[in-house]
Amino acid sequence: MYKGYLVDQTLLDTDPHFAMGCEGCHKGNLEGATREEAHQGLVKRPSDNLQTCATCHQKITSTYEKALHYTSAGQRHGVMKRFSETELKQFDEKIFEQSCRSCHASCGSCHVKAAAVGGISIGLIKGHKFIKKDEGKTCAFCHGGRVYPEYTGEYGGKPDVHYQKGMLCMDCHQKSDMHGDGNTYLSKQDVKDRPVCTNCHNKLGQEARLTTRTAHTQHRDKVTCYGCHASAEYRNCYNCHKESESKPGFILGLNPRDGKTLTTLRVIPTVRDTFAAAGVTMSHFDALPNYWNTPAHNIRKRTDRTRSCDACHTDKAGFLTKEALIENGSKANERLIYPINPIPITE
Amino acid sequence: MKKRKLLILFAMLLCLLPLSAMASTLPPIISTEETAAALSNQDLIILDIRKIEEYKAGHIPGAISMFYGNLAIKRGDSDNELTPDDELVDLLGSAGIKPESTIIVYGKTDTPADRVNITRVAWTLKYAGVAKVSVMNGGFEKWSIREKRAVSADMAKPKAVSYKGKFNKAIFVNKDYVKNSLNKTLIVDVREPDFFEGKQKLPMVAKMGRIAGAVNLPSIQVFEKYPPGDHMETCCWTFKDTETLKNMATGVVGVETNREIIVYCDTGRVASTWWFILAEVLGYKNVKLYDGSMQEWTKDDSAPMLP
Repeated sequence: MYKGYLVDQTLLDTDPHFAMGCEGCHKGNLEGATREEAHQGLVKRPSDNLQTCATCHQKITSTYEKALHYTSAGQRHGVMKRFSETELKQFDEKIFEQSCRSCHASCGSCHVKAAAVGGISIGLIKGHKFIKKDEGKTCAFCHGGRVYPEYTGEYGGKPDVHYQKGMLCMDCHQKSDMHGDGNTYLSKQDVKDRPVCTNCHNKLGQEARLTTRTAHTQHRDKVTCYGCHASAEYRNCYNCHKESESKPGFILGLNPRDGKTLTTLRVIPTVRDTFAAAGVTMSHFDALPNYWNTPAHNIRKRTDRTRSCDACHTDKAGFLTKEALIENGSKANERLIYPINPIPITE
Repeated sequence: MKKRKLLILFAMLLCLLPLSAMASTLPPIISTEETAAALSNQDLIILDIRKIEEYKAGHIPGAISMFYGNLAIKRGDSDNELTPDDELVDLLGSAGIKPESTIIVYGKTDTPADRVNITRVAWTLKYAGVAKVSVMNGGFEKWSIREKRAVSADMAKPKAVSYKGKFNKAIFVNKDYVKNSLNKTLIVDVREPDFFEGKQKLPMVAKMGRIAGAVNLPSIQVFEKYPPGDHMETCCWTFKDTETLKNMATGVVGVETNREIIVYCDTGRVASTWWFILAEVLGYKNVKLYDGSMQEWTKDDSAPMLP
C-alpha cells in the first residue's frame, strides 16, 4: 500500500470524516504500491460531486445544489443582457461552463482546501481538517481580492467598524447565504433574506444628536448606508490592472438597479472585448453599465461625509462625473451620474 | 517598640493602597511574568493589537481587541497616519479606556513590522493622553508558545466610557515643524544605514536620502531573538536590555535628556520604537515623532535632503 501522503494520525482517529478511509471520498487504488498506481481513479475534489457529502449532509447538499455559490448563476445573470440570443448560447458554451463555472465552490472549497482562484490554490486550510468556519480562510480564499481586505483594512484605509468590534463574516451573513435556502436564484439581488444594516441599526431617525437624527431622516431611502458610511477608497479592477492613475477608488452614483438611490459603485471588469478571444461578441454591450452598486465593506461611524454636509453638497467628493467615466465604456454609464446640489438655504 | 508599631502601621497602609497605585508602577517594557502578575488588577487594560481572527483564536485572558489597523490608517498616499482625533476618542472610549487607565499593549513579534506596531500603538495612546502605557516584551508568542501561559478565546466586552483625555499633541510633528527645526533640533533617522546613506529606498518613498542634518539610530538593532543564543528555536523577539539600549542611544543622541529630539523613518511607524525607548524607557523628556516621515518629506522638493 502506498503511503506517500499522510494525514495527522490523531485527526484520522478522531474525525468521523475519515471513518471510511481516504478512499471513501478520494477513491483511487488502495492496492497500488507506487504513487502512480495508488492514484489510478483518484478523485481530486470529491465534493465537486455533492453526493459525496450528501451521504451524511443530505439536508445541506440539497439546498446547496441550488445555491449561488454552487451554481455561479449570478455571474451569468450579471452579463447576459449584453448578448443577443445567439451570443448568449456561445457564451454559455464557451465561457460560462468553461470559465465561470470553474469558480463554483464545492463543499471542500470552503471546509477543507482553498479553491483555485485564477489557477492558484493556497492549499489545505488546516492539514485536511474539516473546518466548520474560519472566515479569514473559508471566505477570504475567494473574497480576498476585494471584500475581505477592505473589511480588515489591509489595503491601507481603515478596517470596517464591525471588524473593529470583533465581528466576522458570519456575524452578518447567514448560513443560508452560503448553503442556499432551497430556492433557485439568478442573482443575489433576488434573495430576500440578505444582511441589511437596519436588521441591527433599527432606530434610525431616533438618535439623540440632532445632526445625526436629521441626516438619517433626510437621507433615508435616498442614499444607502454605504453612501455615507463607506470610509475609504475600495478596490476596483483597475487598482491592480492599471490603465490610468487618475481613476477614483471611491465612486458615488445612482444605483443601476433602481436608478434612483445614491450609493457606492464599483467598476466591473467586463469591457467591450472581454470575450473577444473566445470569439464571443456583445451586441448589446450598452444595455448594462460598467458600474454596479457595491456594498463596500469598510463601514465607519465617522467619514468625511458624516462629518460635513459640504463633502457631498459642495465639494462633491467621490461623485461619478462624465470626465471620470471609464474610457470606451457602456453608454449606460452616464445614467449613473448623480446631479448633487447644494443644500438650499431657507429663512 | 514605637518604631515597630510604625512599621506595622506602614505595612497595613500599603495593603490598603488601591490596586491602581500598584499599577502605576508598571515598567514601560513589561515582561510576560510581570504581566501575568498584574492580571488580577481591576484597573489594568490589556490591549491585543493583532488581527481579530488571531485574537478570537486565543488571547491573554481579559485582553481587549484593539487591532493595529484601527489606529494607523492610510490617508491619501500616506501610510500609517494617525486616525482622526474624533475616531480615536470613539475607539478608546469603546474599549473602556480612560486617561488614567493603566494599559499594557501586546501583539506579535514575528516580523519587524509586527514588532514596531506595538510601540506605534503605545505612541498613539500617549498622543491621545493616556498616561500609563506599557508594552509587553516578547509578544503573544512568548506568552503562549514559549511559556504556555493561559489563553482565552472569549471576546472581552469592555464597558464603554466617554473618553475625555487631554491630547498630548506635542509628541506629533508635521513637515513644517520639521522644516523649521532643521539645525536647531536633533533629528534622528531610525532606518537602516543603507537607507540613511541614500543607497536604498522603499517603493513608497520618492527619493533616496535622509532629512538634512539627521543622525542615524537604526531601530532594527533594538530587538533580539528570544531565547538568546545560537540555536534554531524561533520563539519571538524581545527588546534588548535597557543598559544596551541606553548605550546605543547615548552614543547617537547624547546624554542631555531635555533637548528636543525628532524621530522619523519612512512612514512614521518604525520611528515609534526609538520614540518609546527614548521617551518612556530612558527618560528623554522632549521626544517627538514626525508621522509623515520620508513618505511625505521626499515629495516636497523644497524639503532639504542629504546626500
